[in-house]
Amino acid sequence: MIGNRLEAATFDGGADPNHIIVGVGEIACAEDPQVLITQALGSCIGLTLWDPRLRLGGMAHVMLPASPGGDFTGRRHRFADLAVPELVEQMVDAGAGRHRLIAKIAGGASMFKGESGMDSIGGRNAAAVLEQLEKCGLLVRAADTGGSHARTIELHLDTGILLVRSYSYGMREI
Amino acid sequence: MRLDSLSEMQVDALRECGSIGAGHAATALSQLVGHPISIDVPTLEVVGIGDVPELFGGPEVLVAAVHVRLLGDLGGSMLFMAERKSALALVDLMRSRAVGSVRTYGADEEALVTHVASILMSAYLAAIGRLADVSMLPARPSSALDMAGALMEAVTSAAAMHADVALFLRTRFHDADTSVDAYMFFLPDPDSLEVLLGRLGVA
Repeated sequence: MIGNRLEAATFDGGADPNHIIVGVGEIACAEDPQVLITQALGSCIGLTLWDPRLRLGGMAHVMLPASPGGDFTGRRHRFADLAVPELVEQMVDAGAGRHRLIAKIAGGASMFKGESGMDSIGGRNAAAVLEQLEKCGLLVRAADTGGSHARTIELHLDTGILLVRSYSYGMREI
Repeated sequence: MRLDSLSEMQVDALRECGSIGAGHAATALSQLVGHPISIDVPTLEVVGIGDVPELFGGPEVLVAAVHVRLLGDLGGSMLFMAERKSALALVDLMRSRAVGSVRTYGADEEALVTHVASILMSAYLAAIGRLADVSMLPARPSSALDMAGALMEAVTSAAAMHADVALFLRTRFHDADTSVDAYMFFLPDPDSLEVLLGRLGVA
């Protein structure tokens, strides 16, 4: 049974300048005491990277597994094959050690139950992000993917904890 | 098909399509619940994918949703959405009970809302089909109760392959005291939009 309330979040609607909202198809890097947030992941994947020594983190909100090549317009970071390597590069450019990066992912749900065709996008997104991370020499430390529920995630850069909130399961730390 | 470069005539034609579909759907809904339901003037929106999750009062708003893929001459999606409270009011009206009677949105309630939504969508699609002389059939509906942003995003993600904008025809249904306040979105696939505009004589 789904409750009709989400547990209180850190995010207060954008009033705190330390809260950085990562929109659909965007990537961002930040450092403690900032908090990286992406809201309402459905079939999309939220990928986070964290360097424990520098307390530096990055987040990507990926919508589709692979770019169609050449013929597309708009935000390039909505595709896993473009967003993941770019996020890793930005983290390294910001001073993070590639071998120290801790990767976590969340999302990739099938939002509508019992639907064929569309519901595979979540799973394909998760697989594509894992594959791209592997190409960058990174393994995923923790994941909360699949299912049929939406997730809002927050990466706390002091501890590296990824907070996953949903109507179905309340609050989870990974 | 560039969604962000539609001519004024094309926008008008699509909006007219939306009005005719919405009118039929509202009539169907009024008959189903035995209670007058009105519609607002339907709107056509071309929205960047970054703004899609904001379309329904904020990304985390809890909504009941029904999604249907379209088969036939035109491909696309239809999405029915109502805030939880409003979906429950719809259930009460369908069961001829006072609004506020049902308190949980369980499997029976979800099935009933899905059923109502499919009837509305069929009425909407049939009207557009007659107007534009195309056949559009709804596939099996599927439903969810979750964050509005995630549901909208799941429906638009397939269309985001080549462009990061999505086109919606939005209809709002409500009764006099807005205890029922529901929305229906029609999202033709970009290729199908071109076909639809052709049939409407404004390609």
